[in-house]
Amino acid sequence: MEYLSGVLLPQLLHGVVFGAALGLLALGLTVIFGLLGVMNFAHGELYMFGAYAGITVIGLTSSFWVALVAAPLLVAVVGALTEVATLRPLYRREPLYGLIMTFGLAMVFREGARQIWGGGMRRILPPIEGSIPLLGMIYPKYRLFLLAMSSALLLAIWLFFTRTRAGIIVRAAVQDAEMLDGLGVNVPRVFTLTFAGSAALAALAGLLLAPVFTVYPQMGVEVILLAFIVVILGGMGSLGGSVVAAFVIGIAQSLLTLWMNPQRVAIAIFGIMIVVLIVRPRGFFGREGVLE
Amino acid sequence: MTNRMVLAVLGSCAAIAWLAAPAAAQKVVKIGDLGSKVGVFEGYGKYQTMAIQMAVDELNAKGGVLGHKIEIISEDDETKPAPAVRKAEKLILQDDVKLLIGAVSSGSTMAVMDVTKKLKTIHWNSVSCAEFMRTTKFHKYYFSNQPDSRMQANGLAKYIVDKMGKRVYIFYTDYAMGQSDGRQFKTALEKLGGEVVGVAGAPLDTKDFSPWFGAINKTNPDVLFLAFAGTDSLRLMTQLHSFGMTKKYKLAGIDCFLLQQDLPAIAEPMEGFVQLAHYSAYNPDPNMQAFNTKFKKKYGVDANIMAGAYDAVLFWAAAVEKVKSFDADKVAEAQEGMCLDNTHIGRQCIRKEDHQVVMDMHLYQVKGGKNLPIATLAGKDTIGEAMVGKDPAEGFTWEIKKKN
Repeated sequence: MEYLSGVLLPQLLHGVVFGAALGLLALGLTVIFGLLGVMNFAHGELYMFGAYAGITVIGLTSSFWVALVAAPLLVAVVGALTEVATLRPLYRREPLYGLIMTFGLAMVFREGARQIWGGGMRRILPPIEGSIPLLGMIYPKYRLFLLAMSSALLLAIWLFFTRTRAGIIVRAAVQDAEMLDGLGVNVPRVFTLTFAGSAALAALAGLLLAPVFTVYPQMGVEVILLAFIVVILGGMGSLGGSVVAAFVIGIAQSLLTLWMNPQRVAIAIFGIMIVVLIVRPRGFFGREGVLE
Repeated sequence: MTNRMVLAVLGSCAAIAWLAAPAAAQKVVKIGDLGSKVGVFEGYGKYQTMAIQMAVDELNAKGGVLGHKIEIISEDDETKPAPAVRKAEKLILQDDVKLLIGAVSSGSTMAVMDVTKKLKTIHWNSVSCAEFMRTTKFHKYYFSNQPDSRMQANGLAKYIVDKMGKRVYIFYTDYAMGQSDGRQFKTALEKLGGEVVGVAGAPLDTKDFSPWFGAINKTNPDVLFLAFAGTDSLRLMTQLHSFGMTKKYKLAGIDCFLLQQDLPAIAEPMEGFVQLAHYSAYNPDPNMQAFNTKFKKKYGVDANIMAGAYDAVLFWAAAVEKVKSFDADKVAEAQEGMCLDNTHIGRQCIRKEDHQVVMDMHLYQVKGGKNLPIATLAGKDTIGEAMVGKDPAEGFTWEIKKKN
């Protein structure tokens, strides 16, 4: 019983908390994959921009909550401008162009952040401090808030894609952009807005995780690999798959650390991805033919 | 104008220049300060520079060393070995420093030792604690006044087993310093009848330590021994506290775990923490107090363990004066066995065999954000035998010995 409440339960909760945050990041990535047909390598940098924009806004207003609204909006604007200026001209070309472009953008963004905010580590203090006893263990309040916030966002995104006209248009664009164009929808605008939305989502994840992971120019690179794994496992382009995979990865990672060093767990996760790619390249819920 | 007149004018110009120059400049000798100005250990680098500056100002006020004014060249190694080597080479080859102090991180210091060995330069280490510097990596020009892992383990392990608890979990930062601390503490604890119930290493500059907490809770130790430093310690303590683990376990840590200056910010998580250190501004020892008064007057802040860098300059300067030369071989020989009365903690001597300063250490317990002394450990009891060229923990394994 003590083992359950003192060891297993906290680990499980760690996994769920991290999985939910990872889900936010992976969702944006998978939507863009559906649209562009390539992984957006700059997604991690948009995540990083979210944290830095948060620091800037907090510096001006001294409020984390204002930053939580303003930072994603700022990054969404950056995302929209980036899409119009760099990615739009490449849509009619092979996916490889987009891949290289986003890879280059990632480097530009990262070095840009270093120029603007410096290379050192910055901290954002959690807006909710302290811990509470929960099911026989003690857990930081901020991480519980993180879980609640991420879950609410995931639910909102699900409702957006299933219940709203705008969401259905985005899904349609993911499935067949040309047909959508033929039906009279302004597809380039859909692409730009979706890219902006995905950037805002990444920024939100970046800011929400900043009090836990701290803020530095490399922060995007470190987390984006995991997000890629989530998208691949969930099935490229599958929204539900990404969310499921994010929780699976989060919980697996957390529970595995009970038996091996977290550094080895990171390797094990890559191992799982390699096996999935070989045995079932489409992932848990992926459409046939995306990667096969 | 005849040729002769031109020559005369040029000649007098040269003469004036020659006369004017030496009047303006005293001869200068440069020393190198290699520390971390950014990264996990940036705080230590900052205080290292301050300590060196203080020693240099004092010496220069008395006419410098051997009639030379001392000049400090400071370089930043970003807490990484590769830049540390590059900067050390630059300091020695380009700036021609006669003494190099640094680096902060053990990984960097060990890398720099290869440079100071090859380029025959007096090298002082005043904060890195890995055990290899005075054993396997030792060379003639290397000196240290930082108690290393072995000294710290000899001092702290006994207190842990006697006063805190027998079942210990060792959590260390996974690079030269932490690995060395882990090895030495595990060896010392097991020798004293303690039981190491688990060990784990987390990479330098880990952002979130919570993935490691499950394994710690699983073993349910009496004492959690932490071999971390700098911003890693700050984050680790904050996170341990937020998961209720600072109350659940007794905590102890190494010499460089936290600088005094960082304590007030995390006073609550650190309450009760037992830490080993050779210096604390809260130690009533008259030498420490005298040094702290001096330091505070100059910089407006308390001194901390980085004050060792102050002694490094004094030892080197005393040796230079003794042999009347900056020659590294002669200075190194003069430093061997040398004792000084005016260091930051009073009289100290350099042991001839492995160039380690025989330092007394103190155990401190944190109370209300202050490091208060609870015990003193004599340097001669903790320093252990000189083991130049030998592995100080030979036959060591990380394996956990199960006790029934």
